[in-house]
Amino acid sequence: MSAPAGTFHDRVEKALHDPQLKIALERTTGNARRKRAAAVEAWPEFSAARAAAAAIKDHALAHMAYYLEMFERNALASGAQVHWARDPDEARRIVVEICKAAGAKTVTRSKSMLGEEIGLPHALAEAGLRRVETDLAEHIIQLAGETPSHIIWPAAHRTREDVAKLFDQYHREKPPAHDVVSMVGSARKELRADFFAAEVGISGANFLVAETGAICTITNEGNAELTTTPPRVHIVTAGIEKIVASTEHALQLTRLLVRSATGADLTQYTTFHSGPKRAADRDGPEQFHIVLVDHERTKMLSELPEMLRCLRCGACLNHCVVYRAIGGHAYGGAYPGPMGSVLTPAFDGLQQTRDLPSACTLNGQCKQVCPVDIPLPTMLRHWRSRSWRAGYEPKIAGAAISIWAFVAARPALYQLAQTFALPAMRLFAKAGWISSLPLASGWTAHRDFPKPPRQTFLTMIRKGNRS
Amino acid sequence: MNAREAIFAAINKARTESGASAAIAAEAQACSEAMKRTLPALDLSDLAALFTARAGAEKVGATLERVAALGELPAAVARYVAANNLAPDFAVQPDPRLRQLDWGALRPGAPLRPDSALAVGIALCGVAETGSLVFHSGSEAPTLYEFLPLHHLVALDAQSLLPRLEDYAVFARDLAVPRNVNLVTGASGTTDIEGVLARGAHGPGRLHIVIFN
Repeated sequence: MSAPAGTFHDRVEKALHDPQLKIALERTTGNARRKRAAAVEAWPEFSAARAAAAAIKDHALAHMAYYLEMFERNALASGAQVHWARDPDEARRIVVEICKAAGAKTVTRSKSMLGEEIGLPHALAEAGLRRVETDLAEHIIQLAGETPSHIIWPAAHRTREDVAKLFDQYHREKPPAHDVVSMVGSARKELRADFFAAEVGISGANFLVAETGAICTITNEGNAELTTTPPRVHIVTAGIEKIVASTEHALQLTRLLVRSATGADLTQYTTFHSGPKRAADRDGPEQFHIVLVDHERTKMLSELPEMLRCLRCGACLNHCVVYRAIGGHAYGGAYPGPMGSVLTPAFDGLQQTRDLPSACTLNGQCKQVCPVDIPLPTMLRHWRSRSWRAGYEPKIAGAAISIWAFVAARPALYQLAQTFALPAMRLFAKAGWISSLPLASGWTAHRDFPKPPRQTFLTMIRKGNRS
Repeated sequence: MNAREAIFAAINKARTESGASAAIAAEAQACSEAMKRTLPALDLSDLAALFTARAGAEKVGATLERVAALGELPAAVARYVAANNLAPDFAVQPDPRLRQLDWGALRPGAPLRPDSALAVGIALCGVAETGSLVFHSGSEAPTLYEFLPLHHLVALDAQSLLPRLEDYAVFARDLAVPRNVNLVTGASGTTDIEGVLARGAHGPGRLHIVIFN
């Protein structure tokens, strides 16, 4: 498995020159946008529902210690073992130790972004464990030796043609045809035996339910239950911000989460897992471990509190013009897109990741589609200004902005500059668009600039031309 | 300080919590009520009709039929087996209500296997709003019955239908918490290749629901 290499600029450059990537991203995110729009249209009060969902998450976060204690108490009573980890290193060690104590050779995993965040795939490999990813997209990228590029569709960067090549090469039995249904059938066959061979199954959690001590997963393939039920040991890794008060709150949030992610009312499987196999049960694990991970979340309670509402639906990725152009790998962290650009600086440090909050047009689409109304653009601006104040931004950018500010603060000078610039820019326009402009080729290489009008707005007003 | 203490210390530093548990519970209740006020109106006069419309909708993709009583389930299974060219051997969820039915020429004794073609089950209840079947795991409802077969045929008591997800949450409050609660909404599927829906990912490829009175 290889994490994206190079600087942010290198990765963006590579992504923008990959025509296949553009096709794959447009197919997946385009489908997601259309389906979400239809689901939202069928819920006239959706905007009020977003506010209500934000209030449900804020309630849990306002009483975080109270509800986490309640969750722990109820989980322990169900027979679960609860572990706490301050950071990814501690979390990985706990998981690996449980696997070793269970004498595990094969570990199945159902998709968990927290697992990616804490580097679990790598830790399992280092411990000599055979890791089998069971979610279809995770299976695809495991075969390709890649990391996820989307939090809902980890293989969003792969076209069906790519998947056909991978399955032909790696599946014990090649898919009979290369349509999507045949390839899904091939993965079903390929992974069947592994579900029952694994000693340990690892999942994430969409919610930690304080009232019952259960963890909730929202899935659609059935791989999650086949990952967590047959093995002797089930390990859950979850961020502490997943806490909610009750089953009712979890289900109410699920309504918005699923509509925002895939446009469905519910995904196929909404599952609450509580403790190990009961005495009379005929299936289920003998041990049930929950690893609760902080990893900067307690710091975010003060610095970026609204970000802890995030349900990981991926709507902000699907609607982001930047994500749709560069894909997830360019971002370099576990979480891409707008939510990733807020989270990654918190996890990895702003100095190394300051390019992410800048790779944003601030068009506000992400906030508009967020099911829990997270002010993402405001938070991205927060990181920009922090970076500026910390002196991480290059001096040349400061100088350029100072010049611009000098001109912009002097209206006569500003208008004079525009009067010269407009006719000059118009020389480069063809059919209403400028597709290449000297000194701005970095900008125009991947997008076009609209042909400016003959005169500035102010000149037109002054001439009384108001049409 | 161990990890647990450190995390709680950090939370308490960021959030000075106050309020008795009764006040917090009242606040939680107010949050639920506020969400309920935003929900689109539903016609709740006939829950079985609403459930049928939702579970049978294209995006959920279950098939449904109605019978007068549970005693008619074997005949419904026989029709399904014939229509889909399945063998008359199938696994039956170990629920006494199913085991005591007269199965006639069908052979319901097959063990559940990773490649079972058909399993017949019975849901604890259904949620009309979403067309979801609810299963609570236990000696009479092992979890894998919902995930291993390629065809899952489920009996659903019309009397057990609940209007909305919130009603299920209230209903579940009075029951023991099982190891596994599954709300099953349609046959398994995936959109992982280019966002295109394909049925029968790892769970059942077909879900057929028989609603009985």
